[in-house]
Amino acid sequence: MRVSDRFDSAFSAVSWGRLPNFGCMASHTPADGVVADVSDLVKRYGAGATAVTALDEITLELRRGEFTAIMGPSGSGKSTLMHIMAGLDAASSGTVRLGGVDITALDDGDLTELRRRRVGFVFQSFNLLPILDVLGNVLLPFELDGRKPSAEERAWIDRLIDQLGLRNRLDHRPSQLSGGQQQRVAIARALATRPEIVFADEPTGNLDSRTGREVLGLLSDASRQHGQSIAMVTHDPVAASFADRILFLADGRIVRDSGRLQPEEIATFMLSIEAQR
Amino acid sequence: MKPSLRGQIPTLIVAVIAGTFGVALVQFDGIISAAVRADPVAGASVHTVPLLLGLAAISFIVLSLYVSGVVTSNTVATVVAGRTRQIALLRLIGSSARAERGRIAREGLLVGVIGAVVGAVIGTGVAALVGHLAVASRIFRPFVYSYATPTILLPVVAVAMTTWLAAWVGSRRVLDVRPVEALGNSTERSIPDIAVHRRRHRLALVLVIVGVVFLAAGVVLGLRFPPAVLLGLIGGLLSFSGIVFAADRVIPPVLRVVGRLVGTGTPARLAAENALRYPERSSRMTVGLVIGVTLVTTFSVTMQTFQDMLAIGARNDPQQYNGLGPIISGIVTVFSILIGFSALIAAVGLVNTLSLSVMQRTRELGLMRALGFTRRQLRSMIFAEAAALTATATVVGLVLGFVYGWIGAQSMLGGVHGHPGLVAPQIPWPIVLVVVVAAAVLTLVAAVSPSRRATRISPVAALAVE
Ligand SMILES: Nc1ncnc2c1ncn2[C@@H]1O[C@H](COP(=O)(O)OP(=O)(O)OP(=O)(O)O)[C@@H](O)[C@H]1O
Ligand SMILES: [Mg+2]
Repeated sequence: MRVSDRFDSAFSAVSWGRLPNFGCMASHTPADGVVADVSDLVKRYGAGATAVTALDEITLELRRGEFTAIMGPSGSGKSTLMHIMAGLDAASSGTVRLGGVDITALDDGDLTELRRRRVGFVFQSFNLLPILDVLGNVLLPFELDGRKPSAEERAWIDRLIDQLGLRNRLDHRPSQLSGGQQQRVAIARALATRPEIVFADEPTGNLDSRTGREVLGLLSDASRQHGQSIAMVTHDPVAASFADRILFLADGRIVRDSGRLQPEEIATFMLSIEAQR
Repeated sequence: MKPSLRGQIPTLIVAVIAGTFGVALVQFDGIISAAVRADPVAGASVHTVPLLLGLAAISFIVLSLYVSGVVTSNTVATVVAGRTRQIALLRLIGSSARAERGRIAREGLLVGVIGAVVGAVIGTGVAALVGHLAVASRIFRPFVYSYATPTILLPVVAVAMTTWLAAWVGSRRVLDVRPVEALGNSTERSIPDIAVHRRRHRLALVLVIVGVVFLAAGVVLGLRFPPAVLLGLIGGLLSFSGIVFAADRVIPPVLRVVGRLVGTGTPARLAAENALRYPERSSRMTVGLVIGVTLVTTFSVTMQTFQDMLAIGARNDPQQYNGLGPIISGIVTVFSILIGFSALIAAVGLVNTLSLSVMQRTRELGLMRALGFTRRQLRSMIFAEAAALTATATVVGLVLGFVYGWIGAQSMLGGVHGHPGLVAPQIPWPIVLVVVVAAAVLTLVAAVSPSRRATRISPVAALAVE
């Protein structure tokens, strides 16, 4: 058992218990520690001869508190999988659950609320609203929810801001920040509401390798120290080596589900997938 | 590279309206002159009527061209701002700024010519229809008039040239797009080019100061000498141009206050933030409407004051003012409609720029959706933004209009009793009401299509936009 697992349960008791009830969604969490899961997930684009099957009957579970990397060659369906699991896009068939709630049946309004309250996002670029300063961007999820962060939440955000080194940048606009700083702001925003899960799509794709490692370190800290569940899409073996678990995708199917791996092992496996194509 | 037709449609609409308006006026002129000639009792007015009509038509055409020029150059500037990245990319791979600007100006000429010709057809059709109805209802005697008069070439050429010039002026910013902007992630520069702005603001200040001197001279001299109103007119044009040049200084403070009044919820707050974040963009969107509202208000305040004075005069000396009232109010009505056309062009400009700017923010809006902005919140945000912009333009336009209108009335009528006197400004409440209602309608019209488009944005697709 990892240190974070113990931390995890204590953490969820104080933080998740306090959250408001989400209307139509049951806020119970499954006992088995699964934060999100899909079964027989199929995603098809287009129809007829030009149809593309981006995801081909995928079944998987993401475990609470774990830092999972989703790897695969370009076009293997990584982003599509992430979008569907995060309620950004609809599945063609199959079941998608988040925190035990089947989200395939939710309408746009409920999905929006779900994303706002239960999911955090870090995209490859253009993560921030240019009209808001750093603090405004970090607090945006609360703002969207029409509420002020509680004292407890404010203390947490303060800690994030210090940890991410954003303290003296709070009144800067995104255009005044470097790529790495912008990603750190996005991470602070994603973690601020202590969502069930953070989805990150190539969060280091636009960064140099040192800044990228910094950002990855911050993500894995969030998972290890605070029990934050994270799913990160990447095709960089070094980035994936920060994760507790690595899922390999090829042509819309999961071809390997592995624990922690060294960058070299990941690279070798990726080459073998690509060679088969 | 292929010109993007989408970005040109707004300019085309403005050119068509201006062309229709100009050509219809010229044709009405011809029809009325022909009808007067065909009327045996018209007598002496055979010569004076066409002359006066011609002068009035030219004034109104120039006015509408001024407004459409401002609107078009602002629309082009909005398009350019949205294309900054693309232009920067072309610059990065070696295209010259001048070539890029030339291309935009040529597109402007093409669109101007097409718009003017289409407008000529519509305007002639409208004039022919009205002429026909006037004869059928026996307002006019049957007259001989050829609609294929060469005079319509004047407004056609003027509209095409104005559009060309406006596209050229509006594309000025292409020159300061730096190739590195292709690599940044800001869609519009928020830190303005200080030096350029300072020069423009200095020019604006000079214009305002000189204009105010002229206005003051008009008021003072007008106490003894009514034609001094012409000094006031020059002063009005100069100072108002100054205000238009410095719109990015004048509009934002008002916008700040209005933005706070629009609402306190998140969407309203973000809308106000949006409008204020890019003062250049917001001023571009509103300045045309400010001109429109100012024109309408100035004219109606002056006329209201004038009419009230006539009414008092008529009470004291019924003989001298006999029959003047209806004629004056008829003229006022016709002129108001004609000025209203310029305001219409301004309104079209606001609708265009708002929808362009929403289109350019597709990615931003998609991100908001991804992060948990509901469709409703997005819709209220866009409505709040439209409301803040129109309300700001209306307030600024009404205030300027009252001031100019009073100065106009004072310098024209200050000495009318044979001795110097102060003229109390009259507020034409019906017109104010019309302006406010029109602004409210405009808000709805301007926001409807962008908000519909915005709520249809799928977050995934928006995030994939490069
Ligand atoms: N909107 C769409 N319409 C049609 N096909 C799509 C669409 N989005 C994705 N696809 C297809 O689905 C497949 C998976 O795409 P996806 O973006 O998930 O790949 P990815 O693994 O994220 O690739 P990359 O590493 O390049 O980002 C690809 O074949 C792609 O062409
Ligand atoms: Mg991808």
